[in-house]
This record gives sequence, structure tokens and C-alpha cells, in this order.
Amino acid sequence: MTHINFTGNAKKYLILSIAIIAAIVVATVMIGPQLDIQFKGGMIVTYAYEGALDIESFKYTVQDLTVQEVSFQQSTDIATGRQTVVVAMPGTQTLNTDQMQELNQGILAGFPENNITTLSSSNVDPTMGTEFLTKSIVAVAVASALIVVFVAFRFRRIGGFSAGVMAVIALMHDVIVVYGVFVVFHMPINDNFIAVVLTILGYSVNDTIVIYDRIRENKRLMGLKAPLSELVNTSIHQSFRRSLNTTITTVLAMVVVTVVAYLYNVDSILSFSFPMILGLISGTYSSICIAGPLWVKWQQRKSATAAEA
Amino acid sequence: MRRVGKPVFFIVLLLIVAVVALSFAGISTQYGDIKTTYIKGANDIRWGIDIRGGVDATFSPGDGYQATRTEMEAAEAVIKERLVSKNITDYEVYTDYDKNRIIVRFPWKEGETDFNPEQAIKELGETARLTFREGMEYDQTTGAPSGITAETIILEGRDVARASVGTTQQSSTSAQEVVVQLELNSEGAVKFEEATRRLAGSGVISIWMDEIMISYPTVQSVITGGLASISGGFDVKTAKSLADKINAGALPFKLEVDNYNSISPTLGENAKDAMVLAGLIAFAVIALFMVGFYRLPGLIAMIGLAGQVALIIASITGFFAPFSSFTLTLPGIAGIILSIGTGVDANVITSERIKEELRAGKTLDGAINSGCKRAFTAILDGNITIIIVAVILMGAFGPPRTFFGTLLRPFFFMFGPSTAGTIYSFGYTLLMGVIFNFIMSIYCTRMMIKSISGFPALRNKWLYGGEKA
Repeated sequence: MTHINFTGNAKKYLILSIAIIAAIVVATVMIGPQLDIQFKGGMIVTYAYEGALDIESFKYTVQDLTVQEVSFQQSTDIATGRQTVVVAMPGTQTLNTDQMQELNQGILAGFPENNITTLSSSNVDPTMGTEFLTKSIVAVAVASALIVVFVAFRFRRIGGFSAGVMAVIALMHDVIVVYGVFVVFHMPINDNFIAVVLTILGYSVNDTIVIYDRIRENKRLMGLKAPLSELVNTSIHQSFRRSLNTTITTVLAMVVVTVVAYLYNVDSILSFSFPMILGLISGTYSSICIAGPLWVKWQQRKSATAAEA
Repeated sequence: MRRVGKPVFFIVLLLIVAVVALSFAGISTQYGDIKTTYIKGANDIRWGIDIRGGVDATFSPGDGYQATRTEMEAAEAVIKERLVSKNITDYEVYTDYDKNRIIVRFPWKEGETDFNPEQAIKELGETARLTFREGMEYDQTTGAPSGITAETIILEGRDVARASVGTTQQSSTSAQEVVVQLELNSEGAVKFEEATRRLAGSGVISIWMDEIMISYPTVQSVITGGLASISGGFDVKTAKSLADKINAGALPFKLEVDNYNSISPTLGENAKDAMVLAGLIAFAVIALFMVGFYRLPGLIAMIGLAGQVALIIASITGFFAPFSSFTLTLPGIAGIILSIGTGVDANVITSERIKEELRAGKTLDGAINSGCKRAFTAILDGNITIIIVAVILMGAFGPPRTFFGTLLRPFFFMFGPSTAGTIYSFGYTLLMGVIFNFIMSIYCTRMMIKSISGFPALRNKWLYGGEKA
């Protein structure tokens, strides 16, 4: 670890990151992102049942009551053994309360031996969904902008603005990775996506700041004569153990949450903790390999143009 | 170097143990059936509907009707009245006047088994039936009107033009008094005049919403011209509430539900159990890692973290009985876990710095001192950025008219109040967590480390991550 020349390898890291981002773009085009009904509107109901459910007859009953072609998905909790079936309407169709009651009563009457209960039902109006999505995007944009301003102010001694911009480039890198996880693993983009993105935003910038903090301190200690790439390399190395250990503990905690959520089949947690793990790893990588080395490149170019002039 | 006394470690430790014990267990006394809570424990946490189950619905006027602010207030009053009449008191109702929406969230009642959410939502949104009836006879068990009160309807919702809050000068004392002013339309005025002529002096006209009696004023004199006022010990708030309810009976639209979610209590319970289990395991894993890697500072870090978790719990329950409890949702629990992550990070940074200083050949006291000092700026800057994120989450997804909501209004003015109340909880626990992290990691754990390093038996550099002495 002490032998890695982080600033020297800037190009390699950049190529790796660009390749990952390109793969995510390809995945988006091929698979397509899946917006949750929270954002696009629509209807989804989860029923719990006992015993063996005649799924064909169940489908027929539901289809008969909803008229629309609906989709079905069965699953079983590993920890509790509970069986569930998820019914979703296509597109942005919703059911009103009367239709919903009819559906529930029809299912109850049709399968008395399965003891069917509604675990959750969700009907979202498309306009409200879109509003929620735009609000979330504005929240991410506002948070990013404020972070640049804050970093620029706190690190003005080491060229604050460029440091702020690099921190945000590292952030965007992580946001794209989190988004990629949702696309590749077919997870619907919902409020958890926003929660993960905002969390990674805070976490990744924290990571970057710890390194900048070391650069700021070393600049004072090593003086102005020290070459920039050496200054940054030393700083990254000195804070490397901390970056690694913090990531290990946070990732460990999230792995525990993911495993438990998977065993209990708690989707609302799983779709938060799993992308978080990859986002955390990406956050550490981008702080060490992107934010620092890229910042050196910016500063070197700036001093080169200054020297030419 | 400024020394921290040896007893400090035990004082801080005791304080943290006390905070942990109090915020988890709480203090309450049981006197027969009456339980008095002095300090709220973990059992008093108010869980969000995503955990204990419940309903979340958004109502708006049907057929694209452009309702006025007064009309929306009236509609909100109806929904609240009906929730209370259904014995649901733990509800949240927000009204967005710009977008004409009323957002309602309420949990399942304790022990309720066959709750029908669709039916409940439908009943909440139905047009209120306002009636003015003669007398105030009602069925003792159901509360519904009976006898002459059931038979004689004086006015209905459509006879009322408007109700509002006003003040009049009391004739006897000449003091200002808050009243509800009632304006009837011409048809209503005729009917009201007839009835008041009959009942003037001692008769009562009771006012009903659906089957609930909301007021029962005595008729003092004949009222002609359709302008009446109801007096009798109102303050502005109670008068407004009655005026809203009367207005609700005259609403020219019905409420439609285009957005509703319901979650069964079993689903949520399962998620809660899973999160509590995950939290305990995660805490144990982190503890093993920290103690294994950083030894004594790692152990102290875990004591500080326990204190941090306890303070977060206290900030959710409100701690002291009079403070209201904050609603904790699943993302809220995720926020707690994340803030523990930042707490671990702060301790890792400090412990790593101490280790580094020791390996650079400093004395134990020197290493601890400069390690703590040098770690400070990184922890400060990192935590502030997380606070920025938390505040934005709270402003964007919180209920309207909160402090952060108002603060961030320039950014989110085009959006209505929260459609994702659960994320608000994430922002809150994260914000509280980071603030308590400051208290614990910057003050408490450092004081403990400095204090404990004063014990001769615990001055081995190895205990702090240095080489074996």
C-alpha cells in the first residue's frame, strides 16, 4: 500500500471510472431504469397467504376484477416462512377505493382456505409521483451546490474552488454508481434511491474532506517548496488507514443490515442497504483515486499555463 | 499539557450509563391502572405507519374544483373531526393550500384486526352532512340524535353561506368576546327566523356534523336577516374550529382520493424486528473491529457510541414526558445507523492519529493530545457537510411550516408539502446523530481517553496502538 503512486496513476483511475460509467450508460440503454410507482404513479398490492395457493386460479380471479392485464410475483421469506404474492397494474393505472375494495373482497371470497391478508397496498397519482421525483432531484442539486460552497470556503488555502469542484466530480461518480446498481439489479428507483444518493453524498464528501484536510495540514508542515504530487500522495497515504477502516466498519454494518433484510424479506430496507454498500466502496475509491489525483492535474495545468504566460 | 483528572473517566462513564439506561428504559410509575411517565423510554417511541402499519392518503377536491383557502380549512376540519370520532387520535394532517391537497396519515389502532383501509379512506373523504336541529336530545350510547332532535331539522349545509370568527362587545361588561359569526343565505334566513321565533328564550338549536354534535347554543332572541352569532366562552382557536366545521357542511365539492397507501401491522412489525436485530449485530461487529484494531481507544469509542445511540433515542421519544415524540420510520432507523457510521469514523480518525503520533516517537500524553487536536478539523468539516445534507432532507421532505421547511422555501417553493414523510425522519435522525456524535466523539471520548491514560497501569503504549513497551 505504501508503494502506490496515487497521483501518478491518475490516468488509469480515470480510465477505469470512465469505463464503469460507460457500462452503466450501456446498461441504462439496454435494460432501462425502472421507476418505482412512487415516482411514475401506479398501483401495487402485496398479499400474504397460507398453504398452497392455486396461482393460476388466483390470477384468473384478479384479472377478472381488475380488467387490466396485471403482473404477479410470488416470494417466501426465508426467516419467517411467510408467503406473499405481489399484484401490480401496468403503466400508471390506479384503482380507486371502491375498485380496491371489490378486488380485496373478491380475493377473500375466492380463496377462503388460504387466509389471504393485504400486507400493503399502494396507489399513486402520476402527477404527484412526478412532483416527488423533481423535488428529489432539486434536493440533490441543492445539496451538491452547498457542498461546493462549503468546501471552497473551508479549503480556500489550497485552492478552494477547484477542491470543491473535484469533490463534486467524485460525488457525481458515486451517484452514477448507485444509480447503476439500481439499473443493473432491476431495483425500482424510489425514495430509498434518493436516501442512498443523499447519504453517499454526505459520506463521500466526508471521505474527500479527510484527505483534503491532510493536504491542508501537510502544506503548512512541508512548506511551499514541496512538489504538489508528492504532497497529495503523502496525504493520501497518511489518511489511507483511516479511509479503509471507516469504510470497512460502515460496509460491515450495511452488510449485516442487508443480510438480515434479505432473510426477513424486507424490501424497503434491502433496496436501501445493498446499493449503499457499493456506494460506500465507490465513495472511498473516488475520494482516494479521483478527487485527490485529479485535483493535482488541475493545479499542475493551472501552474503550467501561468508559467507560459 | 493540561491534565484531565483520573475521576473524570468514571464521571463521564457514569453519565453515559445513566443516559443509556434512562433513554432505553425510561421512568414511569404504575398506580393501579394509571401509568404516569416521567421519562420516556424506547418503548414510548412513536413508530411511523411504515412500521406499525396504517394508512397514508391524499385528498383533493373532485372534478378539478378550485377551492379557496377557507374551503380547504373546512375540509381539513371535517377529516380531523371524523378521525377523532373513529377514535384515531394519533393522526397527522397537512393541508397544501397551493395545490389543494390534504395529506392524512394515521396508524392502525392497537389490537385492531379487521381494519378496512379502503372503507376508512372513503368515509373520511365523504361530503359532510351539516344540520341545525331543534333541542339536543341524543342517544346515550351512540351519540346520534334522537326524539325531537332527530325529527326536526331546521337548517342544512346548503342554507349556510359562511361561518367566520369575529368579536363582539358584551353588553353587560363591555368586554370583547370571541364569537362565531354565521351568515345564512335567503332561504336559510327565513327558516332560521321561524325556528328562533319558536325557540327564543330557552330553546336550544344543536349543530351536527354527520352524527356528531359539534355545538348546542341556546337561542337568546329571534334572529332575522340571516346574521347570527354563537357565543359562549370561545377563544380564537375553538371558534375557528367550530366555524371550519360549519363551513364544511356547505362545501360545494366532494373530496377525492387519488393517492393512498396502506401497510399492515404485521409487515411493519417484521421490518422493525429485522432492523433491531440488524442494529444489535452491527453494533457488536463494529465493537469487535474497533477493540481489535484500536484497543483501549476503541473500547472507549464504543462507550461513546452507546451514548450517542441513547441520545438519539432520547431525541426521538422527546425524553421528558411533556415533549412530544418524533415519528420514527424505517429510513429513520437507517439514519441512526448512518450517524453511528460517522461516529465510528470520528473515532477512527482520532485513534489513527494517536497511533501515528505514537509511532512517530511521541510520549503517550503528547501523542494523545496532538492526535486529538489534529483530528479535529477533519471531523468538523466532515460532519458539517453531513449536517448540510440532513437539513436539506428535512426541508425538502418535511411537513410545511417547520423551521427547515421555511428556511429552504426558496428552493422548494414550487413543490407542495411532503409526499414522502418517511425521508423526513431520515434527515432528523441523521441530524440529531451527527450533533450527538460531536458531543460524544469530540468531548466525552477524548476526556475519557485523557483521563484513563493517567492511570499508571494503563500507560502501556501498546494499549493505544503503539509498539509494545
